[in-house]
This record gives sequence, structure tokens and C-alpha cells, in this order.
Amino acid sequence: MSIGSSAESLRPLPPAGGMNEEQVAYYESEFKEHATRWAEILERNAERMRRGQYSLHWMNTDKAAWGRRAKPSSRGLTYTDINNVPGYGTIPDRATCLNFAPRGSVRDPYADEMPAVDDYTLVERSESWADNVVTLYEEAKARQWNATRDIPWTELERLPEDLEKATCQLCTFLTEVEFVAGDFPAKWLYKIPQDFLEVKSFIVTQMVDEARHQEVFRKRAIAGGGLLHASPGFEWALRAIIDAPTHTMGTFLLNLLGEGLVLSIFRSGEMIAKTHVDKEIFRRCLQDEARHVSYGVLELKNYLDKSPHREAAIEEMHRFADVGERVILTAFTEAALVEPVAILLGGGLDKIDQGMEGQGHLWKMSVEEYLQRCDRAGFSRRERCTIPMESPWGQS
Amino acid sequence: METQAHSQEGVGALAFPSVEWFQRLAQLMRDNRALHEHLGYIDCVAQFTILDGGLSARPWSVQVAFEEFEAVDTCLADDKARADFTIEATLATWREMIENIACGRGRPDLTHTLNYLSHTGAPIRVWSDDPLRKDLFFRYNQSLQEFVNASAAFRTIFPD
Repeated sequence: MSIGSSAESLRPLPPAGGMNEEQVAYYESEFKEHATRWAEILERNAERMRRGQYSLHWMNTDKAAWGRRAKPSSRGLTYTDINNVPGYGTIPDRATCLNFAPRGSVRDPYADEMPAVDDYTLVERSESWADNVVTLYEEAKARQWNATRDIPWTELERLPEDLEKATCQLCTFLTEVEFVAGDFPAKWLYKIPQDFLEVKSFIVTQMVDEARHQEVFRKRAIAGGGLLHASPGFEWALRAIIDAPTHTMGTFLLNLLGEGLVLSIFRSGEMIAKTHVDKEIFRRCLQDEARHVSYGVLELKNYLDKSPHREAAIEEMHRFADVGERVILTAFTEAALVEPVAILLGGGLDKIDQGMEGQGHLWKMSVEEYLQRCDRAGFSRRERCTIPMESPWGQS
Repeated sequence: METQAHSQEGVGALAFPSVEWFQRLAQLMRDNRALHEHLGYIDCVAQFTILDGGLSARPWSVQVAFEEFEAVDTCLADDKARADFTIEATLATWREMIENIACGRGRPDLTHTLNYLSHTGAPIRVWSDDPLRKDLFFRYNQSLQEFVNASAAFRTIFPD
């Protein structure tokens, strides 16, 4: 190789400036020239300290809910226990404190000096609240499990190739779809003000659950043979969730419909599992998924109940669901999902037809469960549901 | 991973179905508190129905109230609305499941778990008038499975 040709293959030198030059410059300008209230606070505090004085204003309890101590219940000190203490449990219909100051603290006197978090846009309680969110949060913490330790991995048995491939493909699907239920809440978590701390707390547990699901299915696939095929149909369904225009719409599509269907897959997974390891995985996951579904149902119910224009809100949700259901359906008709499930249900590649028949029955049940959950939320989809009651292969 | 391993030696036999049989499970749940604490809270009222388990092969039902990590109340079902969900099956199905759990010393085989037997609606049917309350069966599935798995710790007598 000549010197000339080897020089041509060299990568270009990095740019002279820092890689984040523009962003750092903006940050500097923002805090040095525009948002400079912090400097006044710093100077005020420094000046007092130079004078050798203490403030001790924080010991004044005039505007605090001081002295009404929370008492633990039999299961420890829960959010419900502390919310029962006057001054702490009133959740506003609309959050006006758009910073990190805790609900129930003395914060009003300082509000003018506090910077606002511009991204806190879900200021209405009806946009994220569900009446079961406190219960679900405490339950989520109590029912956490560990995908490394709580699954009897050493008992994993080698399966015939068709069943192992089907199991690994199902796990590939689940690995692909699970973390949308982490990314979607993450996208909205930062938009929810601190006054709705119970919702934020629950959403964080959902993200932890989904991280664990993604982990356990990835581990199961790689321990059994490997990950198999990703699918475009899955990706479009996930895109429909991530791009939902509002938190409630996305939560409906993700938690109520999507996770409801995945809950059915987990139940089927437990039923068709060919090893105790797989049974344990699916049983653990279905418990987590059912919590997310419960939040989705009551979040939608709360949104509709509190809407000042209920009928208009329902119609808007219908328009969204008309599209969302169809896109979600794309994932649930993909060969990379339907066929492995049929092989596992039937008991082998040679019994895939029987498996498809069984799956048709489960399809009907899953759609009916979805419609029941919609009814429970006060959002009847029975007349408008775009997901057929009969599976597409059952209609032929 | 913690599971219950049971031996039936030296433990008094109990008839199924009977309130005493379910009360024994409740007692075993208290005895196995560490396992249930590991699994997490269970807060629900489950109704267990044996479709032909009563007099003249009529339905027989018991309600078990779970709170935190224990079954705090076990009684004959006289208030349907109290139950969050009902798990119902024929005596033959219950018997097959219980005997299978006993055979596995507290762990059913792949085709005798509560979820396996109920997922398609038969031979076990899990139902509720309220889908949210029915979802509790899923939310606490592992705890409910361990609750019935404990039946391997004693001998069960079935009617002829």
C-alpha cells in the first residue's frame, strides 16, 4: 500500500471546536445573562453569612402542616398513610406549582424566585391521574422480582428444535415490544408536575417492570438458542403508541389495549410453556402487566369523567382508537408472532394448524376482554371496534 | 427461588371440598410467610366454587379474603358481591389439579397450573362482573398458585 492511498483512508480530524459547542454556549448565556435570579440568591446568602447571621426562617411552621405525624399501617408507611395527614393528601385538579417544590411544603412565599420547569405541561389532574394509582404503586413495589435470581434458570431444558425456535421467536417479539412500555411513560413522565407525585412514582415502577420484562425475554432467548426475527409490523404498532398525541390516548393504546393483549399473550405463554422456567417467567410477567392494564382502564375513566365536554372527549378518543386499533392489529397478525404461538399451542410444527385454531379462540377472548375494559372505563367500543372479533385466519 | 416443597407424612387428612380444607391452606400461608412476603401483597377476596361439590351435586363455594401476606378470613360464600372474582370448576377438575400438585410435592406439572386450566375458560372458569376485579386474579397469580400448591402438605380425601 502506498503512502498516498493509506493517507486517503485516514478519517478526518475532529472539528476544532468542542462537539457540544453550541449547547454549552447557550447554557452559559442562559445562566449568565438571562436567568440570573440565582446569582441574587447566592449573593444574599453569602452576604448574610459574611455578617455571621443565621436565617432559621425554615423553622417557622406558620404556613406548614407541621406536627401532624403520619402513622404507619400494618404494611409499613404507605402513600395512603401520609396522604391521610391533613395538608399533604390534597391532590389539586390543576397543578400551578411548576417546579420541584414538594406538595405540602411551605413553597408559596418563594414561588416568585423559583424557576419554572417549562416541560411540565400535563398540569390537569385529569390528564394522568387514576383512582387506583396509589394502590398500584405500593403493590408494584411489594411485588417486584428479579429476572436474574427468581427464575430457576438452571432447570432450563433443551426443547425439540421447532419448539425451541418458536419459544425464542416469541421471546424476540416480547423483547422488541416490551420497552415501548418503558419509553412511552418516560416521554410523559417529565411532563407531569411534582404535585402528581403518585402518578410519577407509579409510572417509574412501570418502567422498571418493562426493563425487567425486556431483560427476562432477552435472557430466555439467548439461553435457549438465540434471538430470532424482528418485524416491521411490531415496529409500526410501537410507533403508533410513542406518537400518540396525548398522554391519555397513548396510555389507552399502550396500557389498556396493547398491554391487555400482551397480558393475553403472557397467559398463553404460561399455558403453552414447555418448561417450568418458561412458566415461571410468564406467570411473573403477567402479574406486572395486569397492574399496567388496571392503570390504563382507570386513567381513561378518570379522564372522561372529569372532562368538561365528555361527549366531545369520547368522540375524540374514538377517532384516535379507530386508527390506533388498526395499527396495533398489524403487530398481532405478524407471522413472527402468530406462527410461533400456534406451534407452541399445537405442540409442534406438524401441529401448527391445530395451534392456529386454538389461537382463534384466544383471539376472540382477548378482544372481548378489551371491550369489557373499555366498557369499564365508560368508553364503549363495541359498535366501533376496528379489531375483528374473529381472527383474520378464522374468517376464511 | 423459593418454592414450597411439601411432604404429606404425619399430617391429618382433610375432606375436599370443606371450609376446613381451605382454612388449612390459610394456616399454611401464615406458616410460609417468608415466601409470600417475597411474592408481595395480595389484597382480594377470591371465591372458590366446586360446581358439583355440594349436597346433591349442587355448587359449593368458599370465600377466602387475602390481606397483605395472609388469608385473613375463610368462610362459606353467602355474599356473592364480596368476591372480587370466582374460580370455578367441577369436582373432577379440582381433584385432578390437587392430586397433581400432591404428586409434584407442591408443584403442579406444566398442564395443571391455575392459569393453564383457566386460560381458555375451561375446565376452570375465572369470572367476575367487573373486569378490573377479575384482573386481580392475574395481578396475584403467583400468590394464588402458591396458596393452592400448599395443599401438597396434607392428605386430601375426596368424596367417592
